Order: sequence, then structure tokens, then C-alpha cells
Amino acid sequence: MNKRRPYVRSMDGWWRKNPFFVEYMIHEGTALFVAAYAGILLNGLVHLSQGEAAWNVWLLGLKSSWYIGFHVLTLIALGYHTYTWFKIMPRTMPPVVVGGQRLSAWAITGSGLAVAAAAMAALLGLVWGMAR
Amino acid sequence: MSDNQKVIEIEVLRYHPEKDKEPHKQVFEVPFTDDMSVLQGVQYIKDYLDGSLSFRWSCRMAICGSCGMMINGEPSLSCQTFLRDYYPARVRVEALSHFPIERDLVINMEGFMEKLESIQPYIIPKEPRTLQEGEYLQTPEQLNEYEQFSSCINCLLCYAACPQFGLNSSFIGPAATALLHRYNVDSRDGGKAERMELINSEEGVFNCTAVGYCSEVCPKHVDPANAVNQNKTISAADYFLRFLTPKGGAK
Amino acid sequence: MEIYKADVVIVGGGGAGLRAAIAVAESDPALRIALVSKVYPMRSHTVAAEGGSAGVKKTTDSLEYHFNDTVGGGDWLCEQDVVEYFVAHCTEELTQLEHWGCPWSRTPDGHVNVRAFGGMKIERTWFAADKTGFHMLHTLFQTSIKYPSIKRFDEHFCVDLVVDNGRVQGVVAIEIASGELSLIEARSVVIATGGAGRVFRENTNGGVVTGDGMALAYRHGVPLRDMEFVQYHPTCMPGTGLLFTEACRGEGGFLVNKDGYRYLQDYGLGPAEPTPRNKAMELGPRDRLSQAFWYEQQKGRTIEGLHGSVVHLDLRHLGEEKLRERLPQIYELAEQFMGVDPARAPIPVRPAVHYTMGGILVDGLCAAPLAGLYAAGECSSVGIHGANRLGSNSLSELLVFGKVAGVEAARFAKSVAPGNSASLLRQAQAVEQRILGLKKKTGGTERIATLRKEMAQTMEDGCGIYRLAETMQKTCDKLDELKARFRNVNLEDKSSVWNTEWLLAIELEYQLDVAQAMAYSAINRRESRGAHQRLDGFELRDDVNFLAHSQAHYVADGAPRIDYGPVKITKSQPGTRAYGAAGEKAEQERKASHV
Repeated sequence: MNKRRPYVRSMDGWWRKNPFFVEYMIHEGTALFVAAYAGILLNGLVHLSQGEAAWNVWLLGLKSSWYIGFHVLTLIALGYHTYTWFKIMPRTMPPVVVGGQRLSAWAITGSGLAVAAAAMAALLGLVWGMAR
Repeated sequence: MSDNQKVIEIEVLRYHPEKDKEPHKQVFEVPFTDDMSVLQGVQYIKDYLDGSLSFRWSCRMAICGSCGMMINGEPSLSCQTFLRDYYPARVRVEALSHFPIERDLVINMEGFMEKLESIQPYIIPKEPRTLQEGEYLQTPEQLNEYEQFSSCINCLLCYAACPQFGLNSSFIGPAATALLHRYNVDSRDGGKAERMELINSEEGVFNCTAVGYCSEVCPKHVDPANAVNQNKTISAADYFLRFLTPKGGAK
Repeated sequence: MEIYKADVVIVGGGGAGLRAAIAVAESDPALRIALVSKVYPMRSHTVAAEGGSAGVKKTTDSLEYHFNDTVGGGDWLCEQDVVEYFVAHCTEELTQLEHWGCPWSRTPDGHVNVRAFGGMKIERTWFAADKTGFHMLHTLFQTSIKYPSIKRFDEHFCVDLVVDNGRVQGVVAIEIASGELSLIEARSVVIATGGAGRVFRENTNGGVVTGDGMALAYRHGVPLRDMEFVQYHPTCMPGTGLLFTEACRGEGGFLVNKDGYRYLQDYGLGPAEPTPRNKAMELGPRDRLSQAFWYEQQKGRTIEGLHGSVVHLDLRHLGEEKLRERLPQIYELAEQFMGVDPARAPIPVRPAVHYTMGGILVDGLCAAPLAGLYAAGECSSVGIHGANRLGSNSLSELLVFGKVAGVEAARFAKSVAPGNSASLLRQAQAVEQRILGLKKKTGGTERIATLRKEMAQTMEDGCGIYRLAETMQKTCDKLDELKARFRNVNLEDKSSVWNTEWLLAIELEYQLDVAQAMAYSAINRRESRGAHQRLDGFELRDDVNFLAHSQAHYVADGAPRIDYGPVKITKSQPGTRAYGAAGEKAEQERKASHV
């Protein structure tokens, strides 16, 4: 008679068992902020289509301290999301060979972050210019 | 044993299928020196404290892939993890996560062997060649394309690091995908189309959510997450090419 | 008891066993192959080989050179006809492995690259960085998956051969996961279980290297040949014995004593030059290098370490970039296990047991004197290593003779009728009772670990780099004592599933038999040759009395009986074994005398 009886451990609460998984859940969780902010912008678009009065109501809403607090939180979350997104990037692409040498993971992440920062600065500049 | 011999506590998750309903912890006090690995600590337990403790090991030099364990919750090769790095705290040792436990620190790895067999892990020659014609030419650059992925020692730490495998054990998983990719990108091989079917399947790469921990714990710098995620791109490209080319992409 | 019917059983899933399995499958796909291995094949100890595998490759090289290096390196105790076959087939087999996907290191134009190795006149060592054995094993294992006729019995522990009607007809094995025994019937059996280095204390070998197959054949009356020749590898990690490949020196590493002096020049291996010269200094053969260490130790010129005396393996002048490219595993071993950065500090090393030159007596076709039994790889003595193996010949041996064993076992299987199943089962059941009895027995007082440690210590004491009759006798006596005490062994674990204590006990019994064959063969060889060096009046080679293979015959409950067999000499008469400048001079003289 075969006496084997392999024991299968439960996966309940798996993500709490390892700091790496906790961080993973947090950085995946920041995607909710991305979605939420898209919702806010979409809402603004809808208000805009309903005429100037509606648009002003939306704008006024944004000025509430609750909304400003939410914006700061979203900015932090999106910043972190961007950072982790580029941090994983080297793991997702074929090796980049420059001058016979494989580009290091940090070089890829670094360039990604630099491009993201540059894009954000350009966008800010543009909005700043339009607002003046 | 001299008086100033250091002693460390090793907590082992024990499970005996013939006696235990479920695993339980047991603590052993093990005298150690600074050059002793966790494996040597566990061997000490077996030799002197409890002969019934079961675990796999062989080469002691991180190449045979036998001695993977969860050490303080992290998938590690016990032969290259050292007791000194935990002392004076207790070190916790457990069978690799996400696999069924056969007994004590021994996991059931039959599922992995089936996966390995399923990926056609051998050269399917692009251009057959006789021995008289000598070796295939392969430049160091071409070798470099796959060499990293061929370094997998099948230690299964990456599976113990992959929650998606833990939640769905039919996922082909990091190591098997890395080896599959190793053959696909070998300049001598022409079997990619056959292997892509598995990549695209229910068990394939889209089970992966890019946690990335598999590559963190890999003791041989294989970066299996890279193989998995490259194949997501390849698979997606295949899918869309199917609509664009008369041949239907690479299958 | 479960019964499986196969045509060929292969015991051992390392390089030789896998190569044999593929050879059987290719020679006749209709043959049912059972590949029995106590570990998953990719865990086998072939995995730990580092430096490379020999095969003539360069246009400046020749089969004759490889032959001469091998026979001279073996101190003329080689079967020369077998060596001739061997050197003629290495390159073909290595090329076959290339076709199967082995990631050999390459030259810039895409050809397979070769490196220098100890005792080899021309660079002919094929390598995959410093993980050659790992890549060869995984290539063979993964390729074996292609053949549906190979049925694997992974983690099945072979406990006996079944011999009936004068020929071997199967094996009995424990399924480790369940603890249940099965009979695997077959018409031929290939043993490919590897060496027995774990009978010594400080060794480079994995835990699985316990001489199982040697003991199995030995107990069935097959002699173990040349067992006194045990190779000490000169550059190993103190304490654990882990290996720093000879390729460290092939790439240009130095061995220096406590004064930073390249001491090998004092032992007939000089002159010392800044770059490696083949067959000189650090590229001398392993036996000579380990012996030189011993003398340095006697002279007090070694360095005292935590685990005994050491010398320094200095790789600093090679630079980090080259070390990371050519010796990446060595780099990590030194860093992780010793905290030494080899690009910045020398690595402390000392000799440790590495390889058993002797083994199961087989002819040039890998056939043992028991009908139907074949052996290949380190467990066998096919006759190519003589008294000292050259680095990188053993990986090639796995391929060349793994294939021969497979082809011959297939041929034999087809030439004989299946056996009498009822008779085989009766024998298997008797084996089962004996093996289960070991576990069930109560009242013993001896611990396996204690016996194993005493065995390993006495082997190191008596059968080390230099040997004396007195200490060898002590070792023989100690082994007799340990065998007696083994009968009183106590197993704490009486269970079935994954009972590794039970397996360790069976392995220990194998080891004690093999250790006895080694020690008794050693004390009887009253000369010095290759890896067998004496300091008690037998310091010289004695071709008159000992140009002969020792053969240890198993005697139940007693000391082995030792006799001698002839050595096949074809074209290389025994000469002076010289290296360095002296070696070059000797070779010129030999050439001149032929003109």
C-alpha cells in the first residue's frame, strides 16, 4: 500500500507572507489611482461638453481641499507607479546591445525614468505657457 | 565542542505523511562555525539529533539544484546560505513554497518534470547536419543570446517565488519557460513554431503578472521573468500577425 | 512487489547513463529502456564537473599526442588499445553533443574553442565556461526526453542486481517516495553510477557519490580493478573540499606557497614562466601537483588555515573581466563561500579526493565478466586512466564509453531470450526481505553518521597522497571493524515515505565494501605509481612486479582477495614520466631514438 500523502499548503493571505509580495500589491494597487484619475478627467470632459456653466462647476469642485488632498495622494501614487513600471521594464524586453555590450538593467530603467521626467516637464511647461 | 562554541536555533517545518495530519514546527539547537551553510546545519540535525529528518542535497556547491528550501521565508539554496547571517536569531527552514510536501523538506516536483518534458527541451535542427560536417558555427554573440537561459539548474526557487504558480499549478512557470526560450533563440534550432503553441496556451505565459520575484531569487542569474515576458510580446505579435499574413504568423 | 519488464536497464542517470540510454534508443527504438537513478538525472554528479572535456581539435594536435599524454599521464597502467579507441572517438562524441545543443564556448569565428589542461601537450579541452559538466549533463538529459523508449525511474534507489542462469537479468530498486520495492526485469544491465569519493573525508564529490554500482557488481563476483588509485585534486576549498577547476591554471593561474613562491619548480615541473606552458608547472598532472603540496607542507612552507594547511591559487593577474567570462562559477564560489574576491586576493586551496581511477572491471566494449552486465563512466575501469587520470578525460569517457556500453547492451539484449520471471521474482523477494530487514531491525546501538565519519577519516589517514604499510594496515583493520559494527547499526526511522536514513545505511554498506577494496589493493601494491605513492621502501615504480592491474574480489565476511591482471601495451613502452623542461628533453630523446 502506498503511504504517500503529499501535503498542499494553503495560499490564503499569500501576499502578506513576503515583503516582496506586499510591495507588489502596493505597486499594483497604485494602478487604481491611475484609473481614478482617468475617471476624474473623463468627468471633466463630460462637463465641458455640457457647456461653460457645467465646466465651471467641475472646476470649482476641484478646488475643494478634499480634492486637492486627493491630487497630492494621486501624484505620489502615480510617481511610484511610474518608478516601479520602469523598474520592471528591463525584465520585459529583449536584451539591448549597444557597442557589443548588453545594456544594464539600471541603464534601461534610468533612461525610462529620464524620458518620463522630461515628458512631464514638457507637459507642465506647455500647460504653464497656455495658462499665462 | 569547546566552551565558546556558538549555538544557533534552527526551526524546521516537519511533516510526516504516515504520522502527521499537517506540518508542525520543531526547533533544534545546532552548534556551528562561521563557514557553515544552512545545509550543513540541517545535516548536523540528521547526523546527531534526529535521523528521521528528510531533505534532498548533493553537490554542496550550488550547481545540482537539489537543496532549495524556504529559509526565513525566502526561497534559497541551503548550500549557499550561511548560518552566520542569521545568528543570534533563530533561522526558519521550510520546504519550498507552492509545491506539495512529500515529507519534511522534500517537495513533490513531478509536476515540474512533466512541464520540462512538455517544452521539447532539445534542439529541433533548423538545418540537419552530419557529424562528419563538424560542429554548427555559432558566434559568441549568438551563444550569448541563449546562454543565460541555459544556465537554469532546475532548483525550482523561481516556482516557490511565483504566486501565480501557487494559485494555479498548471502554469508552465518561470524555469520551464526560460528553458523553452533558451531553445527558441538558439541559432541551431528551428522548433520555435512548435513550442509557441504552449506559450500561447491556457498554461502559457499570460498567467504571469510580472511580479518579478522569480528573477530576484534565481541563484544563477537566469532571469526567468525576462524569458516569460519576452514571450508575452512574441505571443501577442504572433496573434496579431495571424490576421495580417497569409501564413497566419508563426502559429 | 511491482514488476516492470524492460529490455535494457541502466542504473545511474549521470552523463554515462544518459549517453548509454540514448545509444540504446538510437540503436533500436523497439527496445524498452529503464533508466534508474537515485536522484533526478540532472542532479547527478556529472553536474559539478567544471573545466572541460578532451578531444583533438586543433590542426597542430593529433590523436597520437592525446594517446601519449593519456598513457604517460596514467603511468603506463592503461589499456593502450582502449586508449586508442578512446582518443579516436572523443571529438566525434563532443561534436554530437554540440549538435544536441551543448553551449560550448566559441572562438570569434564561431568554432568550438579549446583550452589548456594539466598534462595535455596541446590545448584540446572543450569547455562551456567553467560549468562544462553541468551543460553536458543538462544537454544529455534534455535530449533524452526526445526518446519515447526511455522510461525513467527517477528517485529510485537500486539495491541489488538479479542474476539468474549465469547472467544478470534485472535489478531491484526502492521507489524513494513510497519506500516500496520493485523488480525491473531486463536482458542486459548497464551500471553507470559514478565514483566513490565520499568514502574519504575531504572530497570534491556530491553526497550521491557513494560507489553504489561498484559494490553491486563486486558483490556478484565482478572484480574491482585498480581501486588503490584515487585522485587527489590539488586545488580545493579547505574544509568542504569544493573544487576549483584545473581550468583556473589552464587560464594562467599560479600556485604559490607562503612566501609567494611558485614552488612547483622545485619538483621537476619548471622552469617557472609568466605564461602557462603545457605539461609544465601549474599545468602538470594532478598527482604530481598534490604530491608537491605534501612536500611543501613537510617543509613548513604552507600557510596554516582553519581547516589545515593551504597554499594560494593566485588568479589576480588574469583580471576581473577574464575571470568573470572564463571562470564565473569559480569567482562566485570564492566570493560566496570564502569571502575572497579572486581578482583582488589569492584563493587558499589544498588537495582533496576527487576521482576514483579504478572501478568495475570491463573490457574495451564495456562488458564485465558477468554475462549481460556492462559498465561505463567513473564506476567502471575500462582502462584509460591507468594510475592517474588526466583532467578533462573523464567527461569524454562518459560520452565515448557511455555510447559503447549502450550499443553493446542493446546488442546483448537482442541476442538472448527473456529469463524465467518466476525465478527472478523469487530472488527479488529475497532481496526485499533483506533490505526491509535492515530497517525493521531493533536493538542496534551504532549511529550511521558515526560509522561513516570513522570510515572517511581512516581512509584519509591510510590512503592519502602518500602511504605507509603501517597506516594502511590500520585502515584495513579499521574497515574490518566498521563492517562488523555495521551489523549493529540502529535506524531511528522505520517509516516508508522518503526514509533517507534507510538509504544512507544501504549506501554506507556499499561504501564500506568499496573502501575495503581500495585499502587492500593499496597495501598490496608495493611500488609507487601515479596516484599511489609510498614512503616505506617502495618509492619507485616497479615494472617487473607491478606493471599489472590489481583486481579486488569480494569475499563475504572477510577481506577482499587481491590478484593481478595483465596490462595491454601496444605502442608505448613504459618510460620515464617527466614534465616541464625535463619532459621536453625526454620527448626529444625519444624522437631521436626513433629516427
